[in-house]
Amino acid sequence: MKKIVTLFSLLFLTLLGIITVFPFIYMILGGLMTYREATSIPPTVIPDSFQWVNYFAVFEKAPFIQYFINTSFVSLVTTLATVITSLLAAFALATLEFRYKKVVMVGLISLLMIPYESIIFTNYNTIARLGLLNSYTALILPFLTSIFYIYYLTNYLKSISRSFYQAAKIDGASDMEYIKKILVPMSKPALVTVGILTFISSWNSFLWPLLVTNDKRFRLLNNGLSAFTSESGSDVHLQLAAATLTVLPIVLIYFIFRKEIIQGVAKNGIKG
Amino acid sequence: MIEVIGLQKTFDNGFEALKQVDFAIERGELVCLLGPSGCGKSTMLNLIAGLLQPTDGDIRFNGQSVIKTEPKDRNIGFVFQNYALYPHMTVLENIMFPLLVGDNKKKKAEAKVIAEKYMDLTNIKELQNKKPGTLSGGQQQRVAITRALVQEPEVLLLDEPLSNLDARLRLKIREEIRRLVKEVGITTIFVTHDQEEALSISDKIILLEDGKIQQEDDPQNLYLEPENLFVAKFIGNPIINFLPIEVIDDRVKHASFDLPLSHFIEERFKKSITNGKYYLGIRPEDIFPSDNGPLKGKIQSVELIGRERILHFELAGERVKSIVRVENEITEGTEVTFNLAYPKVFLFSLDGERIY
Amino acid sequence: MGKKNYNSENQLKAWYFLLPALLAIFVFNIYPLFRAFFMSFQKGTLINPRFAGVENYQRLFSDPVFFRALKNTAFYSFTVVPIALILSLAIAWVIFEKVKYKSFFEAIFFMPYVTSTIAIGIVFRYFFNGSYGLINYLLEFVGLPRVNWLDSVSMSMPTLILFGIWTSLAFNIIILLAGFRNIDKEHYKIAKMFGANEWEIFLQITLPQLLPTLTFLLTVNLIGAFKIYTQVYALFGGQAGIAKSAMTAVFYIYDKFHVVGRPGLAMAATLVLFLLILSITFFQQLILKKVGRQR
Repeated sequence: MKKIVTLFSLLFLTLLGIITVFPFIYMILGGLMTYREATSIPPTVIPDSFQWVNYFAVFEKAPFIQYFINTSFVSLVTTLATVITSLLAAFALATLEFRYKKVVMVGLISLLMIPYESIIFTNYNTIARLGLLNSYTALILPFLTSIFYIYYLTNYLKSISRSFYQAAKIDGASDMEYIKKILVPMSKPALVTVGILTFISSWNSFLWPLLVTNDKRFRLLNNGLSAFTSESGSDVHLQLAAATLTVLPIVLIYFIFRKEIIQGVAKNGIKG
Repeated sequence: MIEVIGLQKTFDNGFEALKQVDFAIERGELVCLLGPSGCGKSTMLNLIAGLLQPTDGDIRFNGQSVIKTEPKDRNIGFVFQNYALYPHMTVLENIMFPLLVGDNKKKKAEAKVIAEKYMDLTNIKELQNKKPGTLSGGQQQRVAITRALVQEPEVLLLDEPLSNLDARLRLKIREEIRRLVKEVGITTIFVTHDQEEALSISDKIILLEDGKIQQEDDPQNLYLEPENLFVAKFIGNPIINFLPIEVIDDRVKHASFDLPLSHFIEERFKKSITNGKYYLGIRPEDIFPSDNGPLKGKIQSVELIGRERILHFELAGERVKSIVRVENEITEGTEVTFNLAYPKVFLFSLDGERIY
Repeated sequence: MGKKNYNSENQLKAWYFLLPALLAIFVFNIYPLFRAFFMSFQKGTLINPRFAGVENYQRLFSDPVFFRALKNTAFYSFTVVPIALILSLAIAWVIFEKVKYKSFFEAIFFMPYVTSTIAIGIVFRYFFNGSYGLINYLLEFVGLPRVNWLDSVSMSMPTLILFGIWTSLAFNIIILLAGFRNIDKEHYKIAKMFGANEWEIFLQITLPQLLPTLTFLLTVNLIGAFKIYTQVYALFGGQAGIAKSAMTAVFYIYDKFHVVGRPGLAMAATLVLFLLILSITFFQQLILKKVGRQR
C-alpha cells in the first residue's frame, strides 16, 4: 500500500514539476522557431534549426537594449537606496533607545497593511504635479525605501546581541563605524537577501512604470515587452524570443543565488 | 577615584533595581559587586559604564560627574559576559579595533605594536590569526580582556567574567585575572554571583541584595563579621546553620538545647540583648563533636568530600551541618554530642540585624 | 571629556537614521492614503477638481461594471486561493516526505515566483491559443473537445483562474516547506512507534503544526488575489478579457483613473477595495481564532 502511495506521489510531483518548468523551456524553444513552426498544428516542440535571427528582429523592432539599460539602472539604484535606507532605519529601531520608538514600530506595522495598489494612483498624481513623468526619477522615487524590509531587517538585527553594539561604543567607535565595520559584515546574509529580492521585484515591476512612463526612452523591460506584444500582433515566435530576453537575466541571478533567495523568503515570508 | 552617590535606578516597567546606593572605590583596587540574581549588580556595572542612565544620583570619576558622558569618553574597558568578540574578525583585528576607530585613531602599524604588547601580557599571541568561533571559552575570555585593556583605560569593568567557564578553568582564570590587573595597576570592578570567587580575589566586596548594599568590606571580614543575616547566609559554603531561638532571662533556649547567656562573650554584643526571639547562626566548621556538649543529635547522613566530612543531623526538626576532618570516623546513625565555638556564634534579630 | 549631553536611553541621533526612510514613507505611503480619501469626494479631472460630496460613491454603486469587477475578483480569489493552497500542500508534502533531492525540486517549483508575469503570460497565451495552442492539441489527442480559452466570454474567468493557480504555487510551496522543516522530528518518531500510518500522521501531527503557516498563507494569498491586475493584463494582452469578461477591481480602478480620466471615481473604488480587503482579512482572522480555540 505504501509503495503505491509513493509511486502515485512521485508521478504527481513529476507531472506538476513538468507543468511548472515546461513554460520556461518552451519560451526558449519557441523563441527560436520560425513563425510557421511556432503556429503549426500539431505544435512543434523542437525547431528544425535555431532561428537566432528572431532576436535580431526583436532588437530591430523595439529598443530592447534601451529597455534593458533602463531596467538595470532603475533596479540597481532602487536596490541600493532601499538597502541603505532600510538598514539605517532598522539600526535605529533595533539598537538605539529613544522615546516614541514604539510609536514608530506600531506605525510601520500598520502601514504594511495598505496595499500598494491603493496609493499608486495618488503617487502618480504627486509625480505628475512635480512634472516628473517619463523620467528615471519617477521610476525610482517612490521606491527609495521599503516598509517591509525595514520591518524585516529590524527583526533580524534584534537577534544580533546588543552587547556587540555596546562593546563597539565602549571601544570608541562612532555609529557609522559600527555599522560599516561590524553590523554590515555580521548581517551579510540578510542584506544579500533584501538586495536580491528588491532587485528582482524592481526588475519585474509593471503597474507603476505603466502609469508614469510611455516614452520609449524611459520604458522598462516588462512594459516594453507588453508593448511589443501588442504591437507585433501575431508574431508569436518573436514575442516568445522577447519574453526570453526579459526573463533570462533574472533566471541567471536566480540560479546563482537561489539558496540566498529561497532562504530569505522562507525565513520571513517575504512577498516580493 | 570612583564615587557612587545616592544612585537610584527604576526601569520603565516600575522595577526598582537600585535604591539609594553609595560607595567609593580607590585607585588600583580590585572590587567585586557580589549578590544573587536580580540584586542590581549588573545594573550597577552598566550604570558605571554608561550603558544605562540613572534615575537619580550621581557617578563621579576623579571628582567629575560622568552620567552625561558617553561610554567611550569615560576611559573604561568592559568585558561582557558573552565576550562580544566580533565573529568576522581575527583575534588580532578584534584587539586592534578600539585603536583604529573613534576620535583618536592610530595608524595601523602603531596599533599593531600596542596590540602585540598586550597580547604578550595575556599570553594569547599565538592565537592572533584565529577567529573567535574557533577558540575555547577561556581563550575567548582572554581575548576579551586584552581588547578591553588595549586603550589603556583607567577602569576595567567585568560582567560575570567566569560564569561561562567550567569549574576547573574558573579557579585557574580568576587567579590570572587578579595577577593581570594588579600587574597593570588598573582599577577593576567585577560582577559575580559566586561568593567563593569574590572572596578569593577581591580587595573589597560590595554585597548587594534587592537594590541595596548589604555590606561593603574586605573578604575576610565579610566572612567573619557579617553585618546581617543575609550576608551571613550568602557568604560561606556550605551555608551557615541558623536556628530560631528565644532569649528568656539568662538562657538562650531552643527546642533541643538550652544555653547559658554567660557563655557568650560580652564584648561581642553589638547591642544589649533583651528577652525575645532571635536567630542563632553558626558555621558548620564552628559546631563540632565534643564529649560533653550542650547539643545532641543522631547523624542522618555523612558526606565525604575529599579532605572533609560533613555530618548532617537534626535539632528538633531543623537540619544542621557540621564539618569535621575526614579522619574523624563518625558514621551514620551514631548519636553524637556537639559543642559550639561561642566566639564564632552569631545572633540576629528577626529582621536580620546582627546582635551578637 | 567629550560631549556632555549623552543619555543612553533617549538617543536623539536615532531620528537622523530614520529620517531618509520616514521621509520617503510619509510622501509616498501616508500622504497618498489621505489624498485618495480626499479625492474620492471630488469630481472632474486631476487638474480641475470640484467638490462632489458622495456623488462618486453613488455612481460607483450603481455601475454594473463595478459590480462585475467585484464579483469576478471575489470569484477569482475564493477559487484560486484554496485550490492553490491545497495543491501546494500536496506538492510540499511529497517533496518533504518522498524525495531525496529536496533543494532541486524546491528550486524548480520556485522559478515562477522570480520571473516576470508578463513574460509568462505570453507563453500561456500561446499555450491557450484556440487554434495552435498546445493545450487544445493535447485535449484533442486524448479525445476531448477543443476549448476556446481566450476568446470566449464564459471561459475568460476559468482560464484566468488556471493561470492564477499556476503562479500561486511557487510562494506557497517554499513557505510550506519551511513550515515542514520546523516541525520537530521527535513527533514523527513517537507517532511511528505507536504504529500510526502516513495519513494519520499527516492529520494529527503535521497539519496542526502547519496551522500558523497555513493561516499566514491564506491571508497573504487572499490579499494578493483581491489586488490582481498584472495577471489579467498578461493573459489577455492588455485587456480585461474579451468584452471585459475578466474585469477585476484594480483593472476597473486603473481604467477609471488613467483611461477614462475620472480620478475621483477611481479613488472611491480604491477605498472600497481597501476596506473590502481589510474586512475580509479581519473576518478570516476571527474565524481562524474560533477554529483554533475549538481544537
